[in-house]
Amino acid sequence: MNDIAFKQETFRDDYTYSNSVEAIKRFPFPFPEDNYMYSVNIEPHTKGAIGSVFEFDLDIDEHYVAECKDKLITLTQDPGRYAALPHMMDAQWDFLELVMESLSRDYPELFTLKKDGKRWTWTNRPLATQDSFVFGDASTLPMEPFKYIGLQTQGDFVLMDQRDGDLFADAGIITSQADWSLAFDVGMSFKQWHAPVPHAHEMGIFDRALKYLLHLQAGQPVRRLNWTMTVNPRLDTSPESYPQWGPDRNTVTLENIGGKLHLRVELQALFRLPRSNGIVFSIRCYLISLEEIATNPVWAKRMHRVLKGVHADLAEYKGLTKFRETAIEWLAKFDDGV
Amino acid sequence: MEYGYWIKTKPAYSNLSWVKNATRHIVLAEGAGGLAIIRMYQEQPPAQPVSVHYVVTDQDRHYAQAIIKVMQVGSLHIHTSVDEAIAILGTELSSAYMGLRLYLAGSEHMMWQAAKTAYEHGLSYQEMQLEQAGTLARPVYCVHCKAITPHATTNIAACAGCGKMLFVRDHFSRQLGAYMGFMIDAENPGDLPEIAEVYP
Amino acid sequence: MSQNAMNKIQVIVSAIHQVTPLVKQFVLTKADGGNLPTFSGGSHIVVSLNIHGRIHRNPYSLMSSPDALDSYQIGVRRQEQSRGGSVFMHDQVQVGTPLEVSYPVNLFALHRLARKHLLIAGGIGITPFLSQLHDLKRNGSPYELHYAYRAPEHAAFTQHIKTLAGDDAHFYAESRGQTLGLAGLLRAQPLGTHVYVCGPTGMVNAVTDIAQSLGWPPGNIHSEQFLAPPIGSPISLRLAQSELEITVPPEMSILEAMEAAGVDAPYLCRGGACGRCELEVLEHDGELLHYDHFLSDAEKYAGKKIMPCVSRAKCEKLVLNI
Repeated sequence: MNDIAFKQETFRDDYTYSNSVEAIKRFPFPFPEDNYMYSVNIEPHTKGAIGSVFEFDLDIDEHYVAECKDKLITLTQDPGRYAALPHMMDAQWDFLELVMESLSRDYPELFTLKKDGKRWTWTNRPLATQDSFVFGDASTLPMEPFKYIGLQTQGDFVLMDQRDGDLFADAGIITSQADWSLAFDVGMSFKQWHAPVPHAHEMGIFDRALKYLLHLQAGQPVRRLNWTMTVNPRLDTSPESYPQWGPDRNTVTLENIGGKLHLRVELQALFRLPRSNGIVFSIRCYLISLEEIATNPVWAKRMHRVLKGVHADLAEYKGLTKFRETAIEWLAKFDDGV
Repeated sequence: MEYGYWIKTKPAYSNLSWVKNATRHIVLAEGAGGLAIIRMYQEQPPAQPVSVHYVVTDQDRHYAQAIIKVMQVGSLHIHTSVDEAIAILGTELSSAYMGLRLYLAGSEHMMWQAAKTAYEHGLSYQEMQLEQAGTLARPVYCVHCKAITPHATTNIAACAGCGKMLFVRDHFSRQLGAYMGFMIDAENPGDLPEIAEVYP
Repeated sequence: MSQNAMNKIQVIVSAIHQVTPLVKQFVLTKADGGNLPTFSGGSHIVVSLNIHGRIHRNPYSLMSSPDALDSYQIGVRRQEQSRGGSVFMHDQVQVGTPLEVSYPVNLFALHRLARKHLLIAGGIGITPFLSQLHDLKRNGSPYELHYAYRAPEHAAFTQHIKTLAGDDAHFYAESRGQTLGLAGLLRAQPLGTHVYVCGPTGMVNAVTDIAQSLGWPPGNIHSEQFLAPPIGSPISLRLAQSELEITVPPEMSILEAMEAAGVDAPYLCRGGACGRCELEVLEHDGELLHYDHFLSDAEKYAGKKIMPCVSRAKCEKLVLNI
């Protein structure tokens, strides 16, 4: 699985992004039932099936190079997509260590980590970079450790500080989010930054999730899936850039929705960070168009039923309202009612 | 209210009351927040050192006289601007010890600016009390240009930085001391919902 | 691996030092060689001890540097009036003895927003501060350490502390009439100071009470106490989901009795502090004895929850939902 053919594709402007047959096969389709409802749905992030997105702690796929490029564009245009409060430096190094050790262990043909005491050398073959630095000394890296390695991974990351019986989102690199603002949310507690999610609070979901995460142990990470839908394979669907992608919701028709509307699945994983006692929350985004979903008859049928059944508040919160009916109409032909 | 449900970051304010085991008290109030000072002193003046900072506003000048009369103990400073009061607050905090409590009364914008200064001097939110007085006007943070519009009284308000029409959400950041605002007509420019004064 | 089991590390005792008449320091290295997992200052490990066929699990603070990962170091004070864990460590564990320990867990972490850290240690309570000193120095955080003990011969690791902390460490020997003036100390701390206390219950209560009476908010006061599960009367225990009837003997905690019966019960700190082992009480016909620090007074009174790692009951029958 290590000889990946990295695609050259875009997640903005001409939107040339697409999935290969292999990428479709391994896509983390998130609906085990015809009806979707919230749950804590956390499970141990243990080694999954070979070739699946759950095989390793951090997943690298054919979109790696293109995503890193897109991430850099977003961050350059809006530096507020990266934030790290001053007390988070220990967590930054914890995160760098986690990423470098995972990627070099799980993708040895792509990444190499050499350690000579505290002198480390990191080689990233897909991005053609190599850097030597002193672990723990930020002045020996071209930029601070969280940003440095965050730009070389797919997905968004939040570093949380554990204190006051709570978790605080005190650092983040967020360029592929489903409509939340790091610049606004940085520094918030667990229940504060989850506040906009409808209904889940009354169900006690975040109380239970927080209690569980406070006891998260080193070496025993957990994961869950989250989903929404996006018009065009756009990673940067942030509130900040809403004027750029918001109008796209008006451009969806029955004729073009198959290629335009994408299911957006987030594979979220949480790891205890040893030195800082914090937690890293990784949010790995996978995009698949309705047409690509339709190549799997089971998925197409289920997608149809989930969209029909989703609660109005949830649909509103996930931004589905404008194209929901059209999507249901397009998917109807794949649902034989059985 | 948005989307038919209530967002839980919106702060809930309460009436100020002296913390009995504090070793020192600092009060900062503006305009109609002066009532809170008068009420607290009428309840019972504290035994520990108090310093009161009051920012007079044009419509609430009469409170200043009442405050002067009611304060039998403690030091009183009258300010003409919030910025000046907060600067003096910062100076007092930089030489303060554990055991201090801060009491704020006035507009959300003023209180959260003061809270931010206090936080930067080492005070935790547990050591502050906030009483909203005089107006429900909301400070709004524009996610697009990052400016804060200090006193929005309508559900949709023009951003003081970039002019976009922002929907004023209930989602609130204590760090920024503002509610989140995003361009309400981004999908269909010019297509605005009804604007109403909901935070007078 | 079961859902509730903690990760385990196999270690060997590579050295033992008699530090004071009552305190021994154990140096543990990884059985298969290599580095042990890194950790944050204030962390502890849970050591499994097989005493006469029964597994005892005791938490001990890591006193070593989080950067020196070739070994973990723990300090154990000999307690005669105990269930035998510390006596076993002192008398039976030798250089070369293999032990099973958990990954480090931190329930006594330094607060990252603190502008100053005030560390107060009593007796063997000094151990968690020793690993914290490394983190404080690495991050250049202002701190003071105040270490009180009965007499100089019972002061553990003082030379080590002086090397690490220099003038930031202050020592108080009761036998020499040196007392730690808590009120004066707590009154003189700048805004944003956090106080951390680890030591005998009396000292922990004194620091907490005095700090609160001087207006310190509870969030700025941190303490660690490893409550040993107390000995009590035997309990007839019924586990509703597992459909088991167990007798909990006087010297075993409810948690230990469940584990001995093969039940995969959740736990973390094993000291009544973290809440992880909380179980629902379905039925009991007597009195619940809550010895934990986790449940609120209301919850303890309501009698619907229990912390099986330290709490007990005086009754004929106790039914738990596990």
